[in-house]
This record gives sequence, C-alpha cells and structure tokens, in this order.
Amino acid sequence: EDLSVVGSWSSLPLHKAYEAPFWSETLPGAGDFKVELTTHNQMGLGLSEIYPLLGQGVYDVAMTVADYAVGDAPELEGLDVPLLALTADEARAMVDAARPMVADIYRARFNAEVLAIAPYPPQVVFCNAEINSFSDLAGLKVRASGRMTALFLEALGAEGVNVSFSEVPGALQNGVVDCAVTGAGSGYSAGWWEVSTHLLPIPLGGWDHVVTAMNADRWNALSPDKQNLVRDQISSGFEEPAWASAQDALVNDIACLTGNGECASGDARDMVLVDISDADFETARGILVGDVLPDWAERAGGDWAARWNDSVGQVVGVTIK
Amino acid sequence: MELALINKLRKLNRIVALIVGIGLLGMATFVVADIALRQIHASFGGTEELAGYAMALVSSWGMAYALLELGHIRIDLLRARTQGMLRALFDVFSMIVMTGVIATIAVKCWPVVARAVENGSRANTPLATPLAWVQIPWFAGWIWFATMASLVTLAAISLMLRGQASKTETFIGAFAEQDSLK
Amino acid sequence: MITYVSAGLLALLALSIPVGIVLFLLGFGVDQFYTNFPLSRALGNMVWSSSSSATLIAIPFFVLLGEVLVRSGVATRTYAALDSWVSWLPGGLVHANVATATMFSATSGSSVATAATVATVAMPQAEKLGYDPKLFSGAIAAGGTLGIMIPPSINLIVYGFLTQSSIPQLFLAGLIPGLGLALAFLAVTAILCTIWPELGGHRRVFPLLQMARALIDLIPILILFALIVGSIYRGWATPTEAAAVGVAGALLIALAFGGVSWTMMRESLLGTIKVTSMIMLIIIGASFLNFTLSSAGLGRELTAFLEGLGLSPIGFIMVVVLIYIVLGFFIETLSLMVVTIPIIVPMVLAQGYDVIWFGILMIVLIEMALITPPVGLNLYVVQGARKSGNLNEVMLGALPYCLTMLAMAFALIAFPDIALWLPSALN
Ligand code: NA
Ligand code: NA
Repeated sequence: EDLSVVGSWSSLPLHKAYEAPFWSETLPGAGDFKVELTTHNQMGLGLSEIYPLLGQGVYDVAMTVADYAVGDAPELEGLDVPLLALTADEARAMVDAARPMVADIYRARFNAEVLAIAPYPPQVVFCNAEINSFSDLAGLKVRASGRMTALFLEALGAEGVNVSFSEVPGALQNGVVDCAVTGAGSGYSAGWWEVSTHLLPIPLGGWDHVVTAMNADRWNALSPDKQNLVRDQISSGFEEPAWASAQDALVNDIACLTGNGECASGDARDMVLVDISDADFETARGILVGDVLPDWAERAGGDWAARWNDSVGQVVGVTIK
Repeated sequence: MELALINKLRKLNRIVALIVGIGLLGMATFVVADIALRQIHASFGGTEELAGYAMALVSSWGMAYALLELGHIRIDLLRARTQGMLRALFDVFSMIVMTGVIATIAVKCWPVVARAVENGSRANTPLATPLAWVQIPWFAGWIWFATMASLVTLAAISLMLRGQASKTETFIGAFAEQDSLK
Repeated sequence: MITYVSAGLLALLALSIPVGIVLFLLGFGVDQFYTNFPLSRALGNMVWSSSSSATLIAIPFFVLLGEVLVRSGVATRTYAALDSWVSWLPGGLVHANVATATMFSATSGSSVATAATVATVAMPQAEKLGYDPKLFSGAIAAGGTLGIMIPPSINLIVYGFLTQSSIPQLFLAGLIPGLGLALAFLAVTAILCTIWPELGGHRRVFPLLQMARALIDLIPILILFALIVGSIYRGWATPTEAAAVGVAGALLIALAFGGVSWTMMRESLLGTIKVTSMIMLIIIGASFLNFTLSSAGLGRELTAFLEGLGLSPIGFIMVVVLIYIVLGFFIETLSLMVVTIPIIVPMVLAQGYDVIWFGILMIVLIEMALITPPVGLNLYVVQGARKSGNLNEVMLGALPYCLTMLAMAFALIAFPDIALWLPSALN
C-alpha cells in the first residue's frame, strides 16, 4: 500500500522522535506499506485546511493539533479543555474518554478515521510581569492560541491577543503582550526565557492534542487485516511511547526554564516558577466550569454537552450545567 | 471598439484599485490606532486577524488592476527579439494561458467558500469571525480577475483576427509604456 | 522531478508567460506527473491560506511608505543629501544609490520595497547626469537587497518563525553583516570606477556649507527609522505592526513638507496596489508549487542527495551554498526560504552549526537570489522604474555586487562572529 502522510510541525519533538520513525520505519517494517512522509509546515498548508483536505483525499493520512480544526467543528473544542488535566496521566485519561466523540466528529466533519491521539507538551504560560496567582492575570494582555483558552482568559479578566508565534518574543519584550501561552519546550528553544520572567506551569492552554487521521475512503478500502495491523502498530509504536515521554518532557522543560532540577536539553535558565495556591486554582476552575464550558456547550449545540458529561466529565469530575 | 472596451476596463479597475487602496489605508489606520490604544491599556483586539483578511482581499481585488496596467512580471528575453505579428502571438498566447489558469483558480476557490458556508466555519480566534463573511468577497475578487482576463483576451484575439495585431501591444505587451512610478 | 521543474520553468518563462502563472502551471504539472494524489483540489485552499497572512501585509505597507516618500519629494531630498556627501568618491552618484538603499533598509522590511524606493528617485538623475545605466541600476538592485539584512526584515521574521529561533537575536545578528555589505558595495563601486572611470559619472565635490545644509534633509528619514525600529524595540508594536506605524510616520512627514495632495495620495495607493498584486501573484503561485513539490517528495529527493554525498561539515555547508545559488536563479526568494528551511536547517544544525548564524548566511544567499536572473525580483523592480533600456543591463550591473555577496557568504563561514558577536555581546 502506498500512503501519503502529512505530519505535524517538523521542528517539534513529537514529529522528530515519534512520527517520523513510526511512518518511515516502524509501519513499513511491520507490513506492506510504502510511506511518503512530509509535514504540513513543509507543504505550507494553512492550519485550518489540514483536515478538510484530508477529507477530500488530497493525501491519505494527516496529523495536527485538533484545535486548528475547531473553526469547522466547534464540538471538537471539548477534547482539549484547559486546566482540567495537570499531569500526562490525567490528560491521557481525558483523551481516552473523549475518543469515541472525536472519532464521530472526524467521520462526520472531515470524512476521516481517527487512528491516534498524542499530546504536545502542555501549554503553559510565560509572563514578562510578576504573577503570583490567576487573579494577577486580570488586566494583562495574553497571547493564546485556541478559542476556548482565549475565552477562559477573558473570563479571568485578561485580554486575549492574537500574535503569531514568531512575533511573541518581540511582543513580550515590548509589552505588546504581558504573557504568552505555548509548550514549555517550544518556549525554551525559541528563547522566550530571554524576554519573560515568570513561568506559570499550569496547562492554561490545554495539551494541544495531535490527532492522526486517515481519509475514510482510503481507510474503508483497506482489508480488515490491514486495518488491524495499522491500529495495533500505531498504538504500540507511536501513541504509547509519545504519551510515556510526555510527563518526563514537561518536568525536563520546566527544569530547563527555571533551573529547578536537571535540564537535559541545554543550559538551564532562571525564570521564576510560579506556585499557584489550591484556593486560587479552585476559583479559576470554578470560572471554567461555570462560564466557559456552558458557553462551549451552546456553541457546539446538539447533545455534545451531554456526551461530554457522560465521558470526559466523568473522568475529571466536572458536569456542564 | 476593442480599445474602447480596454479603456473602460482600465477606468473601472482604477476605481476598484483605489477602493482597495483606501481599504489598505484604513487597515493601517486601524493598526496604528490599536497601538495607540494599547498605550492606555485598551485595544480593539484582533488586528492581526483582520490584517490577514485585508491582505487576502487586497490580493484578490488588486490583481485585475495590475493586469490592465501590465504590472504582472513577464520575462522578455525571447519576445523582445520579435516584432509585429510574432510578438503579438507571444502576447496573446500568454494571455490565453493566464486566463485559463486564473479561471481555474477562481473555480477552485469555490469549494473553500462552500465549506465555510456549509459548516458555518468560524476563525479559531477570540473574534471567531464567520469565515464566509470574508471568503465570499475574496472569492468574488478572483471571479472578477478571471472575468477581466477573459475580456482582455477576447479583445486581443478580436483585434488580431481583424488584422490589427500590433495594436494589442498597448494592453497585453510586456511592460507599461509609462510606469506608474514616476 | 528537480530536472523537470527547472526545465519547465525555463521553457515557460521563455514563452513570456507571467512568472506567477508559470509557477501555477508547474504545480499542475507536478500534480499530474509526479503524484497519484489529487493535489490540485487543494488549489483554492492554498490561495486562501497563502494570501490571508497578517505577516504579508507588511509588504503593501512598506511599499506604500516608499510611494509616499517618493511622491511627496522626501525621498528625492534624502537622495540629494546623500549625493552631496558621497559623490566625491570614484563612481560619483552610484555611491548615493548604495547609501540611500542602506538608509531606507533601516525603515523597510522588504528588499523589493527598498529597491523600488531608491530606483524611483535615482533613475531620473542617471539620465540627467549621463551615467552608464548598467552599474547605476545594478547598484540599486543590489543595494535594495540590504532591506532584508538590516533590521527590520520580513525574511528574518519568517526564518525565526520556521526555525523557532529568536527574532530579536536574528535582527541583531543581521546588523553588522548588513552594514558590512553596504561598505563593501561602496568599496567595490569605487574600485570598479577607478579602473574603468566610464562606468561611473563625474565625481562631484560639494561645498561644505551645502553638505552641512543637506544634513537637514536626512532628518525625516532618521525620524522614520527611529519611529519604526523604536516602536519595535521600545515595546509599542510587533515588526508587522511597525510597518503600519511607518506608513503613518511617512504621511505625517510628507504632510509637514507640504507634499500631500489628493493626486499624490491616489497615485501612491494605485502604485501600491499594482506592486503588491504583482508580488502576491508570485507568492501565491510559489506557495502552490511548493505545496505540490513537497507533497511529491522533493524533501526526500534533496535529503537523499545530500546524505549520499557523505561530507564533512565544511564541505556540507559549501554544498548548501551551492544549492541556494542554483535554486536562487529560479525560485522567488520568500518561497525559496519556505521550501528549503524545513529540509536544510535540521541538517545544518546536525552538523553543529548555529541556527542564528545560518539564518544570516541564508539571508546573504537570498539577497543574491534577488538579483540573479531569470527570477530576481529586484532586477524587475529596477527595470520597472526605468523608462528605457534592456533588462540585461541591470543584470550585468548587479553582477559585481552579486560576487561581493558571495564573498560575504564565505566571510561568514570563515568568521561566524561577524554575525554572532553583536547578539552575544548584548546578551
Ligand atoms: Na530592513
Ligand atoms: Na534569482
């Protein structure tokens, strides 16, 4: 079988360490597959175009951040809710609970079959301002990607600002934004520590789950044996190892940014690690559950809120009213 | 007759380009105002997103003006060594190919708009702009460009068939006689 | 596939089909012959995603800024002022071209806009004073390329974005090589015109008083520079937004000099739309071609080729330089960067090179690509501003500066600190 595969950001560890080896070695080694692998940034694809083009059969397999596709599928925002999962294990449990919903969404909206869901590192907050609690974010300008994160920030009294990744360092330095949300590792390698002082190690931007999906026509044309082979291989050869390293990566990246612990990626920096009190955390979570999630339920429409309550909600102990 | 048509199209597209230019100036004003507002800790928000839409509209609606002003770059090495009918053939051929490509683009832009309309797609940003609002005018710009290119091509072919090939140079030649930059 | 694209490109360009359209045609060809996938279905999506870019709006803003400066007479005064300071050198007014380009580079993020601005004010002078058009126009095309080396720079922003490296550091790293290139251009001009005096014009020495008075005419442009770069470094605006600040500043300056009129505004806007559309057709076409090429496996072809060579780090970087020179003939520069960065940069870093340093080296090579035919935007911009003559003259005139850039590329390889000293010194 010839497969044309579009990977996620080529410069990030998920692609380099897991996607690329899986598609170029593991899968071809396990069965009769010939894979052509590129990435969406190498192709110059618009972020919101990746899954719609997959559905049209422009390529066979695509993987990218689910959040990029919520413009076409607001119900998909429920996969990656900020603040609910603090560790990789919790995030994993959320994803497993959400999987049947995600599969339905991809079939209906993008004519695609979901094969795997892997995490980018949690989306933490870099601030060039003194931050000691969530309430300190009020009145600050925060760069966030993703609509639910932006709405959550607004509910906290902060102002969501849309700045592209490349312009963040300048914007932080100059006060165009006071804080910015991204993966701890990306912020470390892009030098955000140069222009910010405080690190809030809470996944305010969620985990940015990367969904791997195959064009549904292509998937249905595979024999059941091949389908099973692909599912088994991608679960053991890609998804498991990616999740297994997620927690360690977070610990390492935070160590690199703040100097608390061993940094395996290079020189450790000295950002201030902000410790959020339990009471403060509960207040923020209250805002999330009371305002932001009901908003989403309305945006998504249908019975999505009910389905979410019965699956993800059970795992994290949250019910959308 | 053909030249009169071209003149009309030129006038029309000058007006379109001027409107696009004023829009661009408006966008610049908006960005500067937003920067000024930020100094007093206020902001319209979403300037980057709007700038992206502005850019898409500027590029689709400005194309036909550049076409009629002979602004799109062509390599002139072989063509410059020809004259009369042969040179006109270069120009007409180039216009036919261009029209074909532009028409293809315009047609292929439709599915993008159709998806935005069907899904009620919204931008994944704080503004959550309904994409159809910007993609419909953007698509119309490419249709406009394709229409203008077709009319210019037809005018050139018509002149050529009437044995006045040399007259086509003024509107499908490689360079404008007088560049707009003076 | 590389052979097909190169041959097809040359053939279609020779037929004098517009460059942007040729890129689309090649993309259709790659789709037809090199993949089994219906890539052309993505055409509309590519057109939308490549044109709806907030980063690119810096292009019309910087072009408009240039138009306003030109049409209000500010650029002419700047040019005349610099003329009075540098025209005593062998080569005369040609030095004013380089000096003005350097100055405008500090207010412009794009090389095309820089070249357009200088070309428009300088060309009338060339004819009036009887200059050899080759070196004169070549110096403008080459000087214009400094627009992306001296900050602000759209291309460095793109590089920083794609490689996740620090843009403030890249800007700092570009400053010394940029000014170094400017000085080298002046030196090369002086040397050439000493050997062949007919290449330049009259050397003219201006009275001291006039030189002093000319300094006043440099103030507007210095204010504009302070406004644009200051608004970035003082914390008011992102590099893209700074372009809009530049437009506002240019309009205010023009207003102060009484150069604003309805006609002038109309012509500035029309000129901006024309140039922007011209560039955007090429950028959109290049994005589509890039999309088809990478879908069809250009990355693998290149990787296999480079790995098959089994080179030492220095040999490897030489091959990379060669690749950029060759690709630079044919591919529009922004697309060249976008196509190659994801493939080349990881390999370069794996050889132990610094990501900021390579960004600057790449910008020098990209600057060369801007003035090498057949696809060299700056050549066309300068040719577009001339009223007569042949494109070959501009190409020939740009050649000495092209070689200077090559020398700068080798200097950067031999002495990486040319780029890296300033960012590390200020850290
Ligand atoms: Na510049
Ligand atoms: Na070139």
